[in-house]
Amino acid sequence: MTIGLQIAWMISLPVVMILLVAVVFTGISLKVTARIDRRYGPPIYQPVIDLVKLVSLKTNVSHGVIFDWGLLVAIAGSSVALLMIPMGGIHPLSGSGDLLVILYLMIFASVGLGLSAGASENPNASMGVSRKLMLGLGYEVPFILILLAMMTYHHTTSLVALVAAQRATGVLGALRFPLSAVAAILIMPALQGVRPFDFVTAPQEVASGPMVELGGKYLALMVIEQSLHTAVILSLMVDLFFGGATNLGIFILKMTGLFLFGVLVNAVYPRFRVEQALRYCWRWPTWFALGGLIMAMVTKGG
Amino acid sequence: MREHKRAKMWTTHPYKWGQKYSLWPIHFCTGCGAIEIPPTMLAPYDASRFGMGPMASPRQANLLLLTGYLTRKTLKYVIRTYEQMLTPRYVISFGSCPIDGGLYYTSYNTINHLEWYLPVDVWIAGCMPRPEAFLMGVNRLMEEIENGTADGYKRYEENIDYYRRNQERTLGKKFLEELKQVEWLT
Amino acid sequence: MLESIVIIGLVAPFVVGLSWRWPRLRAVLAGVAALYPLIALSVLYGRTIATAYARIPFLGTELSLRLTPLSWLFGIGIATIGLFGLIYSFSYMKGKQQLGLYYLLYLLVNAGMIGVVLSGDLITFYIMWEIMSVATFLSIGLARGQALPAGMKYILFSIGGSTAMLLAIVSLYITYGTVNIAALSAAMSGASVGYALSILVLFSVAFGIKNAVWPFHAWLPDAYAESVTPFSAVLSGMLTRMGVYGFLLVMYGMIGLPLVQRMTYGPVGYQIVLAWIAGITIVFGVFTAVLHDDAKRLLSWSSIGHGGYMILGLLLAGTLNLSGGIFHVINYAMSVSLLFFVVGAVEYRTGTRDLTQLGGLKERMPVTFIAALIGVLGMIGVPLTSGFVSKWLIYKGLILGGHPFLAFAALIGTWGTILYGYKLIHNVFLGRMPARFEEVEEVPWGMRIPMIALAGLIVLFGILPGIPLRIISLIETSFGVSALPTAIVGAPSGVGELNLLNILGGILAVAIAMYAIFSPTARARRAARTDTYTAGAPTPISGYHYVSHFYDPAERIIRPYLTDWCGVFYSWVGRQANAFFNGARKVYSGNINTYALWIVILLGVFVTMNLLGWRP
Repeated sequence: MTIGLQIAWMISLPVVMILLVAVVFTGISLKVTARIDRRYGPPIYQPVIDLVKLVSLKTNVSHGVIFDWGLLVAIAGSSVALLMIPMGGIHPLSGSGDLLVILYLMIFASVGLGLSAGASENPNASMGVSRKLMLGLGYEVPFILILLAMMTYHHTTSLVALVAAQRATGVLGALRFPLSAVAAILIMPALQGVRPFDFVTAPQEVASGPMVELGGKYLALMVIEQSLHTAVILSLMVDLFFGGATNLGIFILKMTGLFLFGVLVNAVYPRFRVEQALRYCWRWPTWFALGGLIMAMVTKGG
Repeated sequence: MREHKRAKMWTTHPYKWGQKYSLWPIHFCTGCGAIEIPPTMLAPYDASRFGMGPMASPRQANLLLLTGYLTRKTLKYVIRTYEQMLTPRYVISFGSCPIDGGLYYTSYNTINHLEWYLPVDVWIAGCMPRPEAFLMGVNRLMEEIENGTADGYKRYEENIDYYRRNQERTLGKKFLEELKQVEWLT
Repeated sequence: MLESIVIIGLVAPFVVGLSWRWPRLRAVLAGVAALYPLIALSVLYGRTIATAYARIPFLGTELSLRLTPLSWLFGIGIATIGLFGLIYSFSYMKGKQQLGLYYLLYLLVNAGMIGVVLSGDLITFYIMWEIMSVATFLSIGLARGQALPAGMKYILFSIGGSTAMLLAIVSLYITYGTVNIAALSAAMSGASVGYALSILVLFSVAFGIKNAVWPFHAWLPDAYAESVTPFSAVLSGMLTRMGVYGFLLVMYGMIGLPLVQRMTYGPVGYQIVLAWIAGITIVFGVFTAVLHDDAKRLLSWSSIGHGGYMILGLLLAGTLNLSGGIFHVINYAMSVSLLFFVVGAVEYRTGTRDLTQLGGLKERMPVTFIAALIGVLGMIGVPLTSGFVSKWLIYKGLILGGHPFLAFAALIGTWGTILYGYKLIHNVFLGRMPARFEEVEEVPWGMRIPMIALAGLIVLFGILPGIPLRIISLIETSFGVSALPTAIVGAPSGVGELNLLNILGGILAVAIAMYAIFSPTARARRAARTDTYTAGAPTPISGYHYVSHFYDPAERIIRPYLTDWCGVFYSWVGRQANAFFNGARKVYSGNINTYALWIVILLGVFVTMNLLGWRP
């Protein structure tokens, strides 16, 4: 890829992903959830209307410099992580970071949001962030085991190499690592932050958690950050288990399929309490992921 | 709602389009009328097809639904919540009680005239209004937004002295002192 | 040149102590004493020197000093953290009691540490080690009160370790006739595996106790929490890491990696057993830190946990591991000293370090807040801080080296660090400020300079990790391990994918672009401190801050698994020993008749032995 094309992709890929997840995916999720509830639901482009309203408010409320910049840092971290993930052959920054770097750039999201929420000076926001970090502790245990299984088997930490290995042998990651795939499906809602694991921004329990003081343009920034985070998670899962893709269109189709799974789970299940979520994540998903890791260690030869 | 008419509005008046079709009420259930909100939000009345979805915090919401009577204590909370919302913000009042006291007009504890304390954009009469009446009221609000006549928030800022006098008379000086914590209207 | 460093280092504390009457003179002398090693070592960069300074006739051996790349790195670390701690002490300790003794002991500890890293033979090593340990014991006890039993615990553990080390040194002298480290490393390549293993185990006990590896960690929380803050910073930054230096010296410098790798009996070996112990240390230390509400105790358990990372790195052979482990020593020293300085600064102004009593200080103490934020991010290992590079090297080394369970322990340790790191930042600086802190100001410049400098170093080494990694490559070459190829901004393509300048550019570009895109929206008005969501109620003056039981659901689940069995065991041993000694001292009953009885019984035993012909 020439340098010009790379820079073009660096600018346009996050924009594409934001529009995709914040607008198309959210619209689809609202419509699908409504149809499951046997009602009509808003039009598919409702998220556009919401974003237009949010950025066009006449007043905005801020709680200081840290409040403003925390969200921007979170968005920046998620964007850079997004550019390192191969999406249908496009990965402009993957030479600057491997899977471990992607995993740790996702911490920028939590830390940035934690700073904004802490600057809100509201205990609801603090409770939301503590819940977010505990949820992270919950799903990281099986998630790390899943990633370790793949990295140990293929003897590499580069995501590009993992995708290339799947395409080379023609065997999907989900078929080569069945136990790890089952564990990943079980914790997929936790990674996306949908029910039953949406206690982080629960409106009823903690007055929407970290978002309690975010209004207007800050809420629009939060929507953008959530969409980037969801895009990172979905594309990681597609790359690890479903073989990536050769072009962006098919990649987006695979992301949509995975996203719809999250929507269906979200529409049906109620919300966990925090300790229920932790116990869930540390029980069956961890056992499956552990089994997958042991299988990968035993069968690795390549 | 004709879909193509809505979509066309985006090119001509995006600001109004956004305010109109994305009214987020704050989940603040005041009086008896709160029982009519859940059936409206869910099937088959489905307020979400108008873009309405309940929000937990006044910073995120731009519509205040006053569903029924207001006691003095609740009025204090409602006024603080209203002042914490971001402009432009709209108020819909339900039922007969905010209009003239309704069923409780002789009560020592409820207020009889909401427009003395807060600017209201749309009144919905009834005791309690049914979901259809609620949706008709929301549509009326949308028309007013499109015409530019839903200016309750501007009236509040321009006539702030009038509202403060009424609030002090009914709720006391101590309330105004506490209100300084969130006040930004000079 | 090396002798001058050690001699000045050992004499200056006493000169400073003698000038306790004149604070200005004392400050100048202390500053010179702390500055001299730093300047001297910087001048000596890259050279390997060995000088003999004394001869012991009855042992027939020479005592010597030695500068190797490893000594240089640790020496610079000690000198830098010592200097920063001294500058901090000038402001922090103003007006406190017994300042002459404090500066004397502080400088003596520094001198001991530098002597340890500069020693060329094991007897000098032992002497300096003991000077360091005893000075530490006295320094911990300076704070009085709870610090006295804490110091006692420390010195008991340390003496146990030193005894093991002395046994090993004596054994080596008897076997090889020399205590010179360079000579021993040549001689030990021909040693038998069993003998080398026993020596290594004895040294491991000594250094494991000093580094607070899992079974021997019980002295650390009390010692760090109860001692004076600038001294806690030095203690956690470099003193505990003398254990890591010792490990490196003995394992790589003396015994040599090939011999260590042969110490396996089937699937079990020295390296694997100690690596698993280090893994347990990481998880246990880090997750216990999450449970604590005293800021210094939280940081002390964090030190225990991260010591495990360093041991893990240097134990398993591999260039990535070793580089990561050594680099982590420097990074963690910077982060944890910075955080101890921050906690001390907050305590200086507000009078408390209880995390449930503080809050919202980010506007009153902005410099401290930014420094604390960078320190916590460095401890977590967020990209663009130096902690990330060392952790990245350790993870990569463990994964590619085929140790996924240890990699899991390391990775989950980072998540625990995120939990308690955010708790520290949030409970002190974010959230609502209690009304009694309205008048709190930023700390004086003497305390600000070390914090700013350390924060700057963390970010600098995070973006340009090639600078310290070049030194680490030198160290690896001196050990005979293949060196890590380095690039200035990350890892070269042969090693892995890491380019921190690109990451920095990306983050800055996106943040600024987002700011620019959102600038046409309505300008935000700054909300008053009391203007926050309270469900319509008047905002409470105090107490509207979520600080107690910050991670309550998770704590309830993990607390039963984190009972400190070792602490329980040591307390039991202490109680039994106390009871035994209490009974034993009753021999001295003060009654002359009893003493006469003991003498007669002993004479009887000797006569019987003589008659039966036993000769001891």
